[in-house]
Order: sequence, then structure tokens, then C-alpha cells
Amino acid sequence: MRASPRTKKHHQALSYLLILPAFALVVGLLLLPMAQNLYYSFFQWDGISKEIFVGLKNYLAFFADPNFARSFLNTLVWVVATLAFPVLGGLIIANFLRGLRLGNLFKSIFFIPLTISFVATGAIWSNMFSRDLGVLNGLIALFIPKFKLSWLTSVPLNTVAMLFAWVWQQLGTSMVLFLAGLSTIPRDPVEASILDGASKWQIFRHVTFPMLQPVTTVVITMAMVNSFKTFDIIYVMTRGGPYRSSETLAITMFRETFTMFNMGYGAAISVLLSILVILVSVFYIKNMWKKDLLYY
Amino acid sequence: MRKTLARTAVYVAITLLALAWLLPVVTTLFISLKTPQDYVSSKFYALPKAFGFLVNLKAAAAQYKVQDHVLSSLLYSTVGAVVAILCASMAGYSIVRLKPRFNFALFLIIYSGTIFPFQMYLIPIYKLYNSLGLYDTRIGMMLVYSAICIPFALFVFRGFYTTIPREIEEAAKLDGCGPIQTLFRIFVPNSKAPIAVVALFQATWIWNDLLFGMVLTRRESIRPVMVAVASMMGFGGSSIPLLMTVVFMVSIPTIALFVFLRRYFISGMVMASADQ
Repeated sequence: MRASPRTKKHHQALSYLLILPAFALVVGLLLLPMAQNLYYSFFQWDGISKEIFVGLKNYLAFFADPNFARSFLNTLVWVVATLAFPVLGGLIIANFLRGLRLGNLFKSIFFIPLTISFVATGAIWSNMFSRDLGVLNGLIALFIPKFKLSWLTSVPLNTVAMLFAWVWQQLGTSMVLFLAGLSTIPRDPVEASILDGASKWQIFRHVTFPMLQPVTTVVITMAMVNSFKTFDIIYVMTRGGPYRSSETLAITMFRETFTMFNMGYGAAISVLLSILVILVSVFYIKNMWKKDLLYY
Repeated sequence: MRKTLARTAVYVAITLLALAWLLPVVTTLFISLKTPQDYVSSKFYALPKAFGFLVNLKAAAAQYKVQDHVLSSLLYSTVGAVVAILCASMAGYSIVRLKPRFNFALFLIIYSGTIFPFQMYLIPIYKLYNSLGLYDTRIGMMLVYSAICIPFALFVFRGFYTTIPREIEEAAKLDGCGPIQTLFRIFVPNSKAPIAVVALFQATWIWNDLLFGMVLTRRESIRPVMVAVASMMGFGGSSIPLLMTVVFMVSIPTIALFVFLRRYFISGMVMASADQ
């Protein structure tokens, strides 16, 4: 039974109609605005009066703006710290949890923070680090009398404190992914190396870790992209302060745009942030399409 | 001997770390049990003098109208996820099975919406919403959340629909099902896994959102819940027990989602990571 040309045409129209809602929402609210954002980044604009074309001035201003330089540096600190702690830490913990009898209990504990929002995480840790009534100062004061540290207002301690909150929240993600990856590794090569007398470290280094590589790439990319975009935790814990000292690019963009109304400059920062995020993602997405990593 | 020693060391280290991970959770719950007066006047380890949780909850409801924000956010999360699931299942079905011309290009265009950080379209949406009268409206929030959820949802549904055997569809065709019936009678009812993944990740994301809520709303009756929590912060002292009570309450929905849908978490994480 063949469809008549008329039903075929009807189906063709229908097939586009089914894509239309998704297409319209994404193009109208995300893609066209992105193009517009790129356009704004070449203008000086306070959001109210008429915008003035300034060419690349907003981008060149990066090099002269100490706030931007600090923000960029802070962002790199966040990225490096994310790779060092939640990612590497998650890998180590996942490997140790594998053999433990109470592994599942520990796994659940490290997983809890993942189900809590960044705002709630920020609130919880602001309170932990609070100077007068905070639990951390209280605990330390049990050993060092009269200990009182203003964690969130001293630089660079505040970034360290916020990274604590961040690591607390993020560790579970990488741990769970590494555990999932480890569980797919076949036993045979591992057992063969045990018979060959390889040490635990040698097995990890030469057998487990190479076989874990697809998962490792996933975790690293995701962690880098997320840390480049960090916003909520910093916003609720320090607002990027004191004196803009703990801002990262996402916070600086927000501040320049919505509190100082340098909208063109804010747009330029967001373009830069997008470029950084996409550079990290691109090589990964290419891998993703090649390998069939998607399963249910 | 050396082996048991190493094993003990690993246990001790991981137990200490786990305790450190539990400390903020326990602290939060503990403080939410204390009344504000009790909290400011007692040591951090002192047991609550009275059961303050309900007192705090009532105070938070009266002072901050948290319940209104919770309702708004429930609406945004539900509508956002449902709209994304509907749009994505229709588009995914069409792209995979009806294969109109340019289907892959259309997929890539929609999918590309997810690669960029939110900051990339924040300013123009703010401006657009102001000129369209969508600023500070419920419908505006639902639209922007839906749009942001669609690319990931489409990615999930498209992938899933390629795994549904063609024979089922052929059988439906012989029974006289058109494309629409095939989609809604066969594809959608069999999409438990992608629906769960999208619901888990996107409803959670919308519930947890701070940025769009802050930029696109102003009235308390419209503002989503995380904006309300953020604005409760920074007052210290006696406001802390209220804040911790609210933090606990607003975390329950996402924790519940994770508990119910936990078996979809890993597959979702892998897909979400492709979706950066």
C-alpha cells in the first residue's frame, strides 16, 4: 500500500508542524537572543538610552580592567580546584569504595549534597562559616580558645570557603559517574594482572584507568564547564565581595549588567564566557558523537 | 598484617570524610529544630530547649511568604518539564521517523541552544521581556524555562526513539494509525525512561534556578523559591533557624525526585554531560 502524493504532502507538512513548537521556543528565546547578545557586545549601552557603537572597545577593555583580570583569575582558580578536588577526589574515593563492605552507605552519604540546590548549599555553608555562631569556628574554638575567623569576608579565605561548599556539592557527581564506569570494566584483565603479580597501583595505572578513559573525559569536561559557569554559590555566599574580590566571570557579567548597567560590557563578558565553555565542550562533543556513549 | 593496616586506614579516612560530609546536613537539621532565641543564646552543640521547627516554619511563612514562592516554583517546574517533554517528543518523533528534509540540521539547530551558558542570552531576554510585557509574569517564566529545557529533552527523546523497533510502527500503520496516533498511542506511552530523565533533571533545574528568577521577576508573588531563599540570607543571628528550616523544606521536593527516579540518574548524567 503506497501513500498517495496528497497524503505524502500532508505528512511532510505535519512533520514540520511537530518540530515547530520546539523550534520556535528555542530559536525565539535562545538562539536569536544569542545573536543579539553578540551584537550588543559591540555597543556601549546603559539599557535605557540609545546604544553607541564602539567596535571592539568592550573586548579591549578586558585588558585594562583590574576587576576583570581578578575575576578571570578567580575563574581559573575555580576550574583548577574543581579538577583537583571533586574530580580527582571522586576518582580516588570511587576506587576505594569499590571493595568496601559499607560502600553503598558511604556512596549515599557523598550523594546527598547533589540533591540540594546551589542556593541551599550556599545558605548551609554560609551558616557553617559564620563568624559568631558558625559551627566551624565553634568546633575549632574547642581546641583553640577564642578562635574567631571571618571566613567569608577575608581574602583569599572566602574563595577557599566557597570552594569547600562547591566541592561538598560536586564530589558526588564525579564519584557516582566513576563508580558507574568502574562497574562496567571487565574482571578478566584485572585478574590477569593480579596473577602476573601487579601491585594495586600498577593495576590502576595500566588497566583500570585506561579503561575508564571515556568516563574520565565526561567527568572532566562536565566539571570544567560547570566551574566556568559558577554563579549561584558565589552570589549567595559573598556576592563576589568584599570589594569584588571573589567574583568569577559569571558574577562579574551579572554585576556589570544588572547593577552597574554596563550592558555592552556585560554582553562582551558573556561572549567570552561562552567561547571558553564551548572550547572545552567541542572536543568532547566530537568524541560523544563518534562513540556510542548513550545508554538507558 | 600490612594489608589489614592499609584497609583500616582506608576505612578511617573514608569514615572521617563521610562524617565531614554529613556535618552540614546534621547542622542544618539541628538548627532548624531550635527557636531563634534558643539559637542565639546557646552553644552550637547544645540540644534544642523546645521543638522550634514548627515555630520557625510559621514565622517563615508569615514573614517571607515562602509558601507563595513554593507554589510558583512548583508551577514553573511542572509546566516547564511537561512542555519540554511534549515539544521534544513531537519533534524527536518527527526527526527520527518522519524524517522531513533538513531533519538533522533542524535537530542541530535546536540542540545548539544548550551548549551556551545562560549568560549568553540573559540580557536580550531581559530586554525582550520588558518590551513584550512578559517581564515579571508567570507566563514569561514558564516560557523561558520551557525553552531552556527543550534542547536537552530533544537530545534524550531523539536518542530514545531511534531504539523503538520499526515493526511496532509498521503494525500500527496497518491498523490505520496515522503519525499523530502512532506518536501519542505508541511512542509517548513507551517513553518512561526519557520522560523520567527529563523530569528529574529539568524539573530539578527549574526548581533550583536562581539567575532567571532574579533577572526576569520583581514581584514576590512571581519570584521563584530560590530567589526567596537567597534574599533571606545575610541577616545572621536569629534569622538563621528560619533560614535553615526553609532550606530544609525547599530541598525536600528535589530529594524526593532523586529518590523516586534514582535509577534514571546515571543515564541522565551521561546524557546531561553530552549536553554541555
